[in-house]
Amino acid sequence: MSWHHNQDGNEPEEDEIDEDVYKSQKDALLFAIDVSKTMLKAPPASDDKKADTDSGLTAALKCAYQVMQQRIISNPKDMMGIILFNTEKSKFTDEEVDRSYGYPHCYVYVPLDIPSAEDVKKLKSLVEDGEDSEEVLIPSKEPANIKDVLFCANQILATKAPNFSSRRVFVITDNANPHMDDKKMNEAAAVRAKDLYDLGVFITLFPIGHKDSTFDLNKFWNDIIFKDPLAELTDLETVLESKSGNDGLTLLKSLIKNIDSKKTPKRAYFSSMPFEIGPGLTISVKGYNLFQKQAPARSCYVWLDGEKAQIAIGKTERTEKETERDVEKEELKKAYKFGGEYVYFSPEEQADVKKFGEKTIRIIGFKDRSLLKFWMAIKKSIFIYPSEDGYVGSTRVFSALWQKLLKSKKVGIAWHIARKNANPQLVAIIPSRSQSDENSGTPYLPAGLWLYPIPFADDIRTGPEVKVVRTTNELTDKMNKVTGQLQMPRGLYEPHRYPNPALQWHYKILQALALEEEVPDQPDDATIPKNKAISKRAGGYLQEWADVASEVLAKHQEGKAVKREPDDEDSEDARPKKRTKTATASKKAGEDGGSAMTDAALKKLVDSGGISKMKVAELKDILAARSLETKGKKAELIERLEQWAE
Amino acid sequence: MADKEATVYIIDLGSSMADCHNGRVEPDLNWSMQYVWDRISTTVAANRKTWNIGVVGLKTDKTDNPLAEEDGYENISVLREIGPMYMAGLRSLQEKIQPSSTDTGDALSAVIIAMEMIETFTKKLKYNRRIFLVTNGESTIDEDEENMADIAKRIKELGIELTVLGVDFDDAEFGFKEEDKTEQKATNEGLLKQLTEACDGQFGTIAEAIAELSVPRLKPVKPYKSYEGPLTLGDPKQGAMSIDVERYFKTHKATIPPASNVVLRQGHATQSGDADAMQGVQSGGDFAAVNNIRSYYINHPGGPQGKKDIKLEDLAKGYEYGRTAVHISETEHNITKIETTKGFAIVGFIPQDNFEPFVNMGDSCMIVPQKFNEEASIKLSSFIHSLHELESYAIARLVIKDGKEPILLVLAPHIDLEFECLYDVPLPFAEDVRSYKFPPLDKIVTVTGKVLNEHRHLPSRDLVETMSEYVDAMDITTYEMDDDGNRTQEYAPIDDLYCPTLHRINQAVRHRAIYPDQPVPPIPPILVKYAKPDEDLEQAARTRLDDLIETAEVKKVPPKATGKFKRDKVVPRSGLDIDALLKQPEHKRAKIDSNNAIPEFRQILDTSDNENVVKDAAKQMGQVIRDLISDSMGDLNYDRAIEDLGVFREGMVDFELPNVFNAYLLDLKKKILSGELGGDRRELWWMLKGKGLGLIDNSTAESSTVTPEEAAEFYKK
Repeated sequence: MSWHHNQDGNEPEEDEIDEDVYKSQKDALLFAIDVSKTMLKAPPASDDKKADTDSGLTAALKCAYQVMQQRIISNPKDMMGIILFNTEKSKFTDEEVDRSYGYPHCYVYVPLDIPSAEDVKKLKSLVEDGEDSEEVLIPSKEPANIKDVLFCANQILATKAPNFSSRRVFVITDNANPHMDDKKMNEAAAVRAKDLYDLGVFITLFPIGHKDSTFDLNKFWNDIIFKDPLAELTDLETVLESKSGNDGLTLLKSLIKNIDSKKTPKRAYFSSMPFEIGPGLTISVKGYNLFQKQAPARSCYVWLDGEKAQIAIGKTERTEKETERDVEKEELKKAYKFGGEYVYFSPEEQADVKKFGEKTIRIIGFKDRSLLKFWMAIKKSIFIYPSEDGYVGSTRVFSALWQKLLKSKKVGIAWHIARKNANPQLVAIIPSRSQSDENSGTPYLPAGLWLYPIPFADDIRTGPEVKVVRTTNELTDKMNKVTGQLQMPRGLYEPHRYPNPALQWHYKILQALALEEEVPDQPDDATIPKNKAISKRAGGYLQEWADVASEVLAKHQEGKAVKREPDDEDSEDARPKKRTKTATASKKAGEDGGSAMTDAALKKLVDSGGISKMKVAELKDILAARSLETKGKKAELIERLEQWAE
Repeated sequence: MADKEATVYIIDLGSSMADCHNGRVEPDLNWSMQYVWDRISTTVAANRKTWNIGVVGLKTDKTDNPLAEEDGYENISVLREIGPMYMAGLRSLQEKIQPSSTDTGDALSAVIIAMEMIETFTKKLKYNRRIFLVTNGESTIDEDEENMADIAKRIKELGIELTVLGVDFDDAEFGFKEEDKTEQKATNEGLLKQLTEACDGQFGTIAEAIAELSVPRLKPVKPYKSYEGPLTLGDPKQGAMSIDVERYFKTHKATIPPASNVVLRQGHATQSGDADAMQGVQSGGDFAAVNNIRSYYINHPGGPQGKKDIKLEDLAKGYEYGRTAVHISETEHNITKIETTKGFAIVGFIPQDNFEPFVNMGDSCMIVPQKFNEEASIKLSSFIHSLHELESYAIARLVIKDGKEPILLVLAPHIDLEFECLYDVPLPFAEDVRSYKFPPLDKIVTVTGKVLNEHRHLPSRDLVETMSEYVDAMDITTYEMDDDGNRTQEYAPIDDLYCPTLHRINQAVRHRAIYPDQPVPPIPPILVKYAKPDEDLEQAARTRLDDLIETAEVKKVPPKATGKFKRDKVVPRSGLDIDALLKQPEHKRAKIDSNNAIPEFRQILDTSDNENVVKDAAKQMGQVIRDLISDSMGDLNYDRAIEDLGVFREGMVDFELPNVFNAYLLDLKKKILSGELGGDRRELWWMLKGKGLGLIDNSTAESSTVTPEEAAEFYKK
């Protein structure tokens, strides 16, 4: 959804749809980081600027620090925590460790909660200045038992985030065999891993590999990791090993890359959605919000008179407008404003009015992709992917449809209701290419289908009246030189290159204020054009273009002065339209087809009566090109054109 | 915004209007009023002071009009002087629209009265002036040629648009002809037609007007300018490109009328009881608007219920950074806002083929040259044509005003015969993209990294083939018929897509306003025209679809089998049998550990071999939950208790033991409400209610002795 909506105060963004009603739609993420000797070992010194400078542990902590900062922006209601294990010290809560549940060599470094400024500060000074005030980064002599690490995570998640819809543990370690093949200890850990699974917690392992050996998952960790129950059927949950030198990356970058790909819990926007490809052929799909506009959180009220600044919680009381009498929630009714009063419907009637059928994606036909014009945009699209939950065989049918739409450059047109009582929307179903496809303009997006909302006639605005003065071939050629010089890297718009400058600045300042640090004075803004490079590459061409533009303008104004009334015939040879595309421009009924008749030619046609021989489609195009009403019977259309010609 | 309007409706209230004709079961008056009410209510809905309505009754029993003194103006009454129209006006008008007991009254005289009314009201000001005459043409009209010409002339002078809508008037274009027409009516039709032609008015049969009601009306909105200023490429200070442009909305979501919170006015409530019970007889005036008043509190251990109210003036502005409150002082209130300068700058270009429509984040705008600026027009034109010729789009950064956040747009060229512009749509930033991973659709990669091209999740060649044929058969690119009966037009073009909810609500609200005692009317078919494939198309593609269905072999997953349901056995990646491990003495769990209740409860159920084991687990789980509640400091353990209860309930549904759970929940409710579980726990009860964790009814589990109604009732008390 774009920024204009907020201006107008229109409908707010729809929330994610609740699947389990009694769950709270939040995510809790717990890092479990190994603090062993090998994790602490610094990489060998090197003169190469690109060489690793981080030990496994520092890389892991830096990642956690970065994730924490990102989550404050992107998931302000979600929790995060950090446990360190294999530490000499042990700590569960700030109070005395519960006698019956000790977790030796496990240290709860950041308790699971919505991160606070103190948490950020603590991590920051640890990773940036190496300030280990709690003296916790000291490896234990004997290793921790993984069963304790897992049960410690279990207890934290079960008590602090009991009903979160998503709870995850990210384990970062370089030790493939923590119990040195001790069968009993391995089994005990496996049982605790299963406990976590049954609790609804999902463990992701981020192994850190060392130069000379690969991390052998079969030694131990394969007993601990389960398949994500939310993952796609054909997804194999590969464990991503991070290693210095992987793809030419440092260990830190390699780890960041791997964690980035898993950091957002995969939440479906809708699931078990029937996708009716034709009457009698339904498959099931899930929908995902792969785009979600991030904006700075709204300001709030703070109470400063206490020991610590506290956020004030708002509550709403209602009163009757005229009498100012207090109104109870149960008294409220819904009614529509009408002519200065209200028109009332009972809740049942209200539901009836808004009922357009069950949730569905129902295809009503297929169109050439070229009919979907660039401007037919109204809001972001939803990604859909097959699921076998409702119908066995959905995946193969979906794939066949996806292949066909790509191959024939077609789109599906469908009636879509996202959930019970949601407003119906007409959508175009558009395929996205494989990520491995070299022709993909969106290599950062997965292959699948997209529900692209088509605007309704009600959503289309008319623009102002515009009198066009056309360019000339010479002038366009000059501009072509400029355009040709300034292609984006790889010819793509890649969102990851453009962080939102306003959003980043907002949180950067907030962070500085919260951590009582110096406020930076210059924001990073990658969206500002590189004017120096532009000038170097195209400065000369831009000058030539400006010169020719002045000439063309002078000529045009001269011409206008000479001939008060420009002859229609004259405008015809002003410039042939669309030089390069003449081959493809012969469209059937598109808006650029029949409308391309000049006024003079049209007048002739009207005078000669030849107009009555034209097809309705052509007439409509001609009318549309002149911004005339295109509705009605053929006779009316002709009449309208005749009137226009007069 | 919109122009001022003055409209007079002349309604034929003659006694013959009470009759039904031409096979209709509705009296002519009511039938015709459908159209008039729809128009009037549209005006009422707009709630504009500058849209004025007057109503004149023709063939009324009495005579009440400004020209009553003169001859020929009998049986005409001004039912409503021209003025803005609200609900109250609509109601009082409704009472007056009743058939009279006479059939005399001169329609032309009524037109003259309406003209006078408009003239007096609008004076010489700028107005849209309209007269609608609705009549059955069954009474004498004074047939004076000269007089007619004068009236027509005067109508034109005053700039009035006259529309005559006749009950069962002949209309060749619409295709209606009344066979047994009275001579009187035929003459009058001719006269009125002559008049409308003479004053460039409209003449039609009311049936056509009523038929047109089903086509939703689009609300025109004036162009909205979202930016005006230079479009630049390079640094404008160093002779770079700078074109003065204006940017307007091309699409913008039309607002769906929202329902407001209202309350029954006090006094009314006691008289008429519950509003729902008296639906139909309600009148809009019974409801009052509701004001929302925000107040603030903080969590404060010392205060009542751990809270403390704080006055707004004692609070400062700030932001949340994680869970930390960051206070921003009054003087620095803009400190977190990025400083920006208004501008519209090109960042670079991409090939058109590399842009996918589904990356757009919102509605589109159009960019045109500044008005009356030929230099800008020529320059922008060269830019547009360049994009077109090089098949490129531009990426641009826009700041609509100083201090506003920058956004990135993609700009596309549009060239038409007499119009050119750039269209733009907004692009996502890095933070707006979620990197969810999905496996590829055209191959399967195995654990060992082998790539499979044949698999039950991949389509066979046959499936690809039949899908292709079906998609081609269902092509609607040129499916709509033109007037020559050829399928040459785009089916479901954007101009024919009306927002169903928007028009449905408008229809229902208007209908309810006019006919308060009638039920909600059905959905107009035009709003659901595209909810299903066209029937003929479907028939034509049927054999292709049958082939596809046969090849696809899709099977619906049967609803969850009832009885002793167990989850699929879950194993880790190594395939280790953990259930077997759990049976070994050193891992065996005798009793559910309250600290690990959910996993252990689930594991017992998964490995249970008889019902008693399950029932015993249920008993233990129940105790765990009660203990959690009893031991809870305030609401500390509530979330956990709810989660446990949810898992407990799920297990009992799976194992078809609804009555075990129901008995437990009934008892738990009693204990919670009686304060038996460590004090006042009513808040927990509200929470349970909110989460929908209720009794298991027999629609969920067959053997339940609780009906869905009883389950609903359980929460009410």
